Order: sequence, then structure tokens, then C-alpha cells
Amino acid sequence: MIYQNKEGWLYVLPLLFWLALSICIPLYIAIELSFFNVKIIGTEGEFVGLKNYFKIFTSSKFHKAFSNSILWVLANAITQTFFAFLIALTLNKNFKGVKIATNWIILSFIIPTVVIVVIWKLMLSSSSGIINSLLIQIQIIDKPIGFFSSSTSAFISLVLINSWRWSPFLALIILSGLKSINKEIYDASKIDGASFFSEFFYITLPQLKGILFVLGLVGTLLSFNVFDIIWLITKGGPSSATTTLPLLIYETAFTKFRLSQAAALSVVTSFILLTFSIIFIKFMGKEDE
Amino acid sequence: MKKLLSILIVSLALPFSISPVSAATEVTFWHMEGVPHRVDRIQTLIDEFNSSNPDVTVSQEVQNWGEIYAKAPASVASGTSPEILVGIPDFTPILAEMGAAQPVDDFISELDSKYGFYSKALDQYTYNGHTWAVPLWNMAISVWYRKSVLEEAGIAPPKTWTELEAAAKALTKNGMYGIGLPGNKQLYTDQTIYSFMVNSGASEIYNSDGSLRFDNPGTIKAYETYKNLYQYSAPDAASWTWGEAEACFASNGCAMILQFSVISTYDSQAEGDAGDLGVIQIPYADGMANSAGTVSYVNSAMIMTDDKAKMEASKRFISFLMEPGNYGRFINMEPGLFLPITEAGSKDDTFWNDPVAIKYKSQIETMLDNSTRGSLFGFTNGNTFTSISSISAQNLLSQTLQSAIIDDQDAASAVMEGQKIMTESIE
Amino acid sequence: MNKIKKYSLLYLSLSTIFIVFFFPFFWIITSAFKSPQEIIQKQSTIIPKSFTLEHFDKILFSSDFLIYLKNSLIVSFSSMIIAVFLSILAAYGLHKLKFYGNKLVERSLLITYAFPGVILLIPMYLMLGKIGLLNSYFALILINVTFSTPFAVWMLKAFFKTIPNEIEEAASIDGASKIIILSKIILPLALPGIASVSIFCFIISWTEYMFASIMISGNDLKTLPVGLASIVGQYQIDWGFLLAGATLASLPVIILFLFVGKYFVSGLTDGAVK
Repeated sequence: MIYQNKEGWLYVLPLLFWLALSICIPLYIAIELSFFNVKIIGTEGEFVGLKNYFKIFTSSKFHKAFSNSILWVLANAITQTFFAFLIALTLNKNFKGVKIATNWIILSFIIPTVVIVVIWKLMLSSSSGIINSLLIQIQIIDKPIGFFSSSTSAFISLVLINSWRWSPFLALIILSGLKSINKEIYDASKIDGASFFSEFFYITLPQLKGILFVLGLVGTLLSFNVFDIIWLITKGGPSSATTTLPLLIYETAFTKFRLSQAAALSVVTSFILLTFSIIFIKFMGKEDE
Repeated sequence: MKKLLSILIVSLALPFSISPVSAATEVTFWHMEGVPHRVDRIQTLIDEFNSSNPDVTVSQEVQNWGEIYAKAPASVASGTSPEILVGIPDFTPILAEMGAAQPVDDFISELDSKYGFYSKALDQYTYNGHTWAVPLWNMAISVWYRKSVLEEAGIAPPKTWTELEAAAKALTKNGMYGIGLPGNKQLYTDQTIYSFMVNSGASEIYNSDGSLRFDNPGTIKAYETYKNLYQYSAPDAASWTWGEAEACFASNGCAMILQFSVISTYDSQAEGDAGDLGVIQIPYADGMANSAGTVSYVNSAMIMTDDKAKMEASKRFISFLMEPGNYGRFINMEPGLFLPITEAGSKDDTFWNDPVAIKYKSQIETMLDNSTRGSLFGFTNGNTFTSISSISAQNLLSQTLQSAIIDDQDAASAVMEGQKIMTESIE
Repeated sequence: MNKIKKYSLLYLSLSTIFIVFFFPFFWIITSAFKSPQEIIQKQSTIIPKSFTLEHFDKILFSSDFLIYLKNSLIVSFSSMIIAVFLSILAAYGLHKLKFYGNKLVERSLLITYAFPGVILLIPMYLMLGKIGLLNSYFALILINVTFSTPFAVWMLKAFFKTIPNEIEEAASIDGASKIIILSKIILPLALPGIASVSIFCFIISWTEYMFASIMISGNDLKTLPVGLASIVGQYQIDWGFLLAGATLASLPVIILFLFVGKYFVSGLTDGAVK
């Protein structure tokens, strides 16, 4: 290995400088804002110390959004892991057309979120949607389902749509891990008579530790911060059932016109996520070697 | 490396090198009518104005409704706001308080003497002793239906809420929904529930001191009725905006809907049979015929600059738009949707001579008539306060409605809870 | 018996994947060619009964779609170039050059995703407003590079890992400087990886909505996602128009993928393999 102390910094500095500009400075401004009571952007506010933070911790809206966020992350993690592994394991096999399928499975990830919203809103519509139409035709239901009509159904539908978007991307990364596993390990286990499930849990998963570490960390963070899809479909409704923390922040800033409160909320949210990241890294960090 | 750097520099410099230096006063005009044929129509008028006024250059920039609440104040804060901003009433109080929207009292008197504003239109922008924007067009909600559908079910167009409930019930059959009411936390739902509130005498949500009187028997009755009617609506109505309701009506999935106008969609995406398209005043609560009315949204132009030259240029452009001969063409950027708000405008030939206006003349006349009884929550009787902007932006009327129709709370508790949340926004 | 079970399982999961992930596109694209009436009718059709090009005609020739396309292309390509440049440097620095704080920097990069986009939105708007760079390509490039680089660095690092050390050591013994090693030896070997990172950065820029909608106010600088959202209009939705717009907004990336898709995919999937 070639080790060079100062040179390493030189190579990393341009990016660090860029990120300092685009993340650290705005972050600082946001933290500063959170100690005032600015309402509309551009107006002046007085210094209020930690008042905004106290408000947050006693606010039921915050607690609801927080629990919605936790639920959201968990539901997405489970759904996406399921689909990502389903896709990855399937594409890892050899069959006619596997190359084409692997090339194009990522389709749902490369299109703009606005297009995703259009696609699913129309498909799930109870007046003109294909899903309801089909379900009625094959007589599974006799009346159209309102996929966004209740708090529960709206939440589930959003989780499914978001998972639809992200699963293929995760699948490809997992696939890369699968491909790097030495086939001989499997051959050895087959001789011992291992079943599909024990193969999966005792061989496959451990081999994927490094990849699962990064996916677990970044995946959770990205999931937590999903904004577009939820905002464009339900705007956080019905009845705040799908209002996660990012939506609450946006709402507080732009529809409630309480900029400082929103800044405080963002700081709290970032703090929560940072804490999660640090804990996650501490406990799972060894896998990343 | 060098090549990369030069590409970088060029691409960064590009936006700066686009705008030419000109001696003309530049006026930027923001609006939310992004549909291409509307943009085209506005551009035509802008081009005409620019060529006959060589010392002024007007340009339009289209914004999305979803972002404008964030963008407009932000643009003022960063000093990049447009000279003219087209908006809806709940927008203006915030901008007026920030000192961004300029009072236009004299300009209004001038235009009023020439063209005669409908007073209700001015109401929505007059408070705190000034008028803060120039009304451009009106939109008012009516109930739309197909005459053949009602005839076939043996129902007369409903006038009262009892009749409405009976009609919705009778029309819900064979996969059709009697009345397509939205249940989304969104502006369209705010507008429809308010339409009911107007018709039960609850159009006023503020007391004269700025405290809320949202929680009153009229409001509760409106929410109750909406809740009863909601069962006859489509299952996915909780995610509806105007477009989805219209699609339901156009595909004959909904027998009746509350809407500003279905003319465009009905004409291009449905059968377009003008003789079968029925439109009526929104039904009123039993015994409250005097309260019969609707929600009306007067869109207006706010002048956002205090630079004398730019103000004057902006006023000239707005006057140009209001002139009969231009006005009709202007609001017919979407025929059958936007209604005139001046006497002169309502007589403008260019308004009535549009092919769509000719085909649907009787419907438009009814819409116009309905609009004269229109009001807007938070802008009634001069009781307008800044808090309306955030009450509107947060869609608190529909949020309250969702407690009743989705969480199944009873109307009275939902409304009481709703008033609490609104009061919070005032602090 | 076991083989049949295996094949039917494979077949089952393939069909599920196909239906779930590909059918929606089939339906949307074919619907964009249907007549307006057929699109919104209650009994939705899978096989179109009508055919019309009117929606595409409107989108291409009566709207500013081509302008939005141009803007998206410029912003996405520029973001991609800058992001890849910065990421290559950083990834190389992190992987080949161990230095004090290496692990810290590496982990911090991934943690940048801990900040919700919203927290950056307002301060950045104010910052850019002050220096007059709002409503410019630069504003969007700034954001896109920020959002794509951390993950890109991680991907590139994994690639550099696959390059045998011996090649590098041999070159350095021959007296080559770091930059030469990087550009003449490492880069060519890591080309598939760089290709896939480039595509990743391109896609992140292509699909970005929130910042693009707030930072850009002029119509002539709008990107596709924002332009598409505004074409729809507030009170009317022309569904055919919307579907045609959705189709066309996806088309450029699909075309791009036809040519470079295999690099992206093999880049991702072969990443950890030699």
C-alpha cells in the first residue's frame, strides 16, 4: 500500500470544500435561525433562545410526525428489502433474457418522481384506474378501492409506491454483492444438504455484510428524508396520517409561515438522524472493513 | 483538466450572458396558468403591448401552485421578486404586511371609473384602509350535471340540501357516484366545503377583532351535510384535486360535481354535447334561500415594486389587459373558466365571440350570475387578517373536514377542534 | 421433481417482478396514445382501443417541453461532469492514500444524507439570492453535485479497491507521479465503474424536483420535472397531455440507458468482482 499523509488531504479537499459550501453554511444559517422567531422569510425576528425547541418537544404534532417517520422507515425497509432480495436473487440466476431484465429493472428509479406520481395516481384511481378495473373484472372486489381514502390505506399505498421506486436500485447493489460470493462456498453447503433458507441465512447474508451496512445506513437516511412522493400525492394527509418529519418541516416553513420553528425542527431532525448514524456505525461499523 | 475547467467556466457564465442590455423598463410578470395554450395567449397579448410600448418590455414567468407560497415571499426576501404577481386573495395579506404588495387605491379608482368593477371583486382585496391588488378575473363554483342523467332518474335539479341528498342517493347506482365530492387536504376541498358554509349562512369566519367564529351552528350544519353526502362520492376522493373530479364527471362516473367549470374537459375529453350540460346554483340549506351563494376566487395582479418607473410601466400593462378588446381575449385564455369582473368586461365582444363561449353561452351566463353571489372565507365584510394566509395555506378547512369524513368524528367536535388549530395559527 | 419446483419458483418471481415493475410503464405509454375519452373511461383498457398522436403533438409543438428538455440536459450533464470529477479525486484520496482522519472523512460523507433536503432549501435560497445566482444553472448544479457525490464516492472507492495493487506499485517504482498514476492507469481500468457513477450522478440530477422548483423562476430555465408539473395546470388536467408528458420526460433517460445502461448495471453488479 502506498501511504502519503498530506497528499491524501489534497485529493479530498475539493469535494470537502464544495460540501462545506453547500451543506455546512446553510446548516449554520438554519441553526442560527432556530434561535429567533422569524415567521416569514426575509422578515426580522427577535432572539428567543431555546423557545422553539421547547415548543417542539411539547408539541403533539411533532410526536405524531416523528412516529409516522419511524413507521415510514420501518415499513419501507421491510418492503424494499423483500423486493430487492426477490429481484436480486432472481436476476442472479441464469435464464433467457436475464441480461435485458437486469438492464431495465432500474427503470422505475431513473424517471423523475413527478412521473412516478402521475403513473400511480392514475393507476390507482377509482374512476379511471387500471388496478381497480382489473380487480373488479376478475371479481376479487365488487366496488373500487380507495387507495388513498383512509389513513391506513394512504400510508400503505405510499410505502408501496416509494418501495416500487427504490427496490430495483437496491436490488442491483445487492446483486453485485451476490455475484462476488465465491460459488464454491455454495457447492460445499449443497454437499452437506443445506436447504434454500439455511443457505440464504447462513451463507448469503453474512457474505453481504459490507453492502448491507451501507444500504442499511444510507437507505434509512434516504427513506427518512423522502419528500416529493408523499407531498405530491397526499400532501401529508389524510388527517396528517402521512405527515412525516420532512413534510412537517416544509409545512411549518411554507404554509404556516413559521420559518424559525421550521429551522428548529430541521435541527432536531438532523440531530436524530446523526445520532442514529453514529450508533449504527458504532455497532455495525466493523462490517465495512 | 484544462478542458474541464473551461467547460465549467463557460457553463457558469452562460446564464449571465443571456440577458441583453436594454434601455426599456423591464417588467416581469409571474402567474400560475401553466397550461400551454394559456401561456400562448398571454404571450400574444404581451407581444402586442411590447410593440406598442417600446419603452417597456414585459415578460411572463410561469410558476407552479405548489411552490408559489414558498417562492413569492422568498423572492421578496432575496430581492428578486417580479414586478407583477398574479395571485389569489389569501396570498395578498402576507405580501401586504411584508410591504411587498403596493396599495393601488388610485389606480383602482381610475380603472373603476373606466370599466366598473363588481364590488364583490374588490372586497376580496380591500382591507386595512387600502386596496392591495387589481382584480383580473373571477372563478366561482357551481353544480354541474348532465340533464339526461337527472331526467332518466326522474330527479329535478336540487335547490335545497334535502333535495341534494335525495338526488345524490338516487343517482348512486350502476357504478355511478351520485355526487363527486373531494376529501383531500387541498385547496379544492377547502373551496367545496366553503361553498356549503356560504349556503348555511356561515360565510363569515372572523369576528371584527380578528378572532375566529368558524365554530358556529351554520358551519357545523355544513360539515354535517358534507359528511352525509360524502358516502355518495368516489372511493378515491380523498386524493382528488380539481382534475380528478372533472375526469370523474367527464367519464360519466359522477352524476354531479361542484366545480368552477367543466366546459373545457367536457368539450374535449367527453361528449361535448352543450345541450345536455346542466349547471345550477349550489343548493342552499333548507329555509336559507337568502344565503344562497358560492365561493368565488378573484384572481388579481399585485404590484410588487416601489420603483416609480416600474410601477408606472406595470400599471400601463395592467390597464392594457383590462381594456375591452384585450380583456375578453385575456380571460378567454381558458374559455369558460375565467369570468369577467368588470361591467365593461362582461360586455366585451372578444369574450363572447370565442367559439367555446358561443357554444356554451347559456352555461356561462349561469356561471356569471352565480358568481355575483360569491364570497371567500377570510375576505368577507372587510374582516381580513394576515392569519388567513396560513389558514389557507395549511388547508385547515379541509383538514377539519377530514377529521369528520375520514376519522369519522362528529361534525361538532371536528369543527371545534378545527377552530382551535386555526386560532393557533394566529399567534 | 426438485427441478420443476425450482423452475416454477423462478417463473413465479419473474412474473411478479415483470408485472410489478414493467407493466405500469406499458400501461402509461400505451395510454398516452389513447383518445381522451378512452383514457378516463371507467372500464380501463390494457390493450388500447383507439389511437391518436394528438397528445404528443401538443406536448412537442405547443408547449415548452423542448426547452425544459434542453435545460435538464444541460444541468444534468454539467452536474455529472463536476460530480464525477470531484468524486474521482476524493475516492482516490480516500482509498489509495491513507491519511489521518481517512475513516472519519469517509463516514462523514455518507452522513451528509442525514440532513433533510428541506433544511438546506431556505438558507441556500437566501445565500444564492444574495450573490445573484438564483434562477441560474449554477444553483441547480450546486445541489445536484451535493446530493450525488457522497454515494458516488462510496461506489468509486469500491471500484478502486478492485484494481490490483501491483500495477500501481510497479508504476510508482518507475517514478510516475500520483496524478499520472491516477489518470493514465487507474482511470482506464476503472472505466466501467466511472461510467456507472456518471450515470448515477446524471440520474440524481435528472430527477431532482424540490430545489429545481424553488430556485428557478424563469420559464426558460425550467427543468423537465418542474416543467411537467406546471404544464398540467391548476384547474384542468388534460390527462392525455399529462401522460404524453410523462412518457417523454422518461424517454431521454431511457434512450441514454439503451446505450450506456449495460455499463451502469455491470458497473454496479460487477463492482465488487474483479
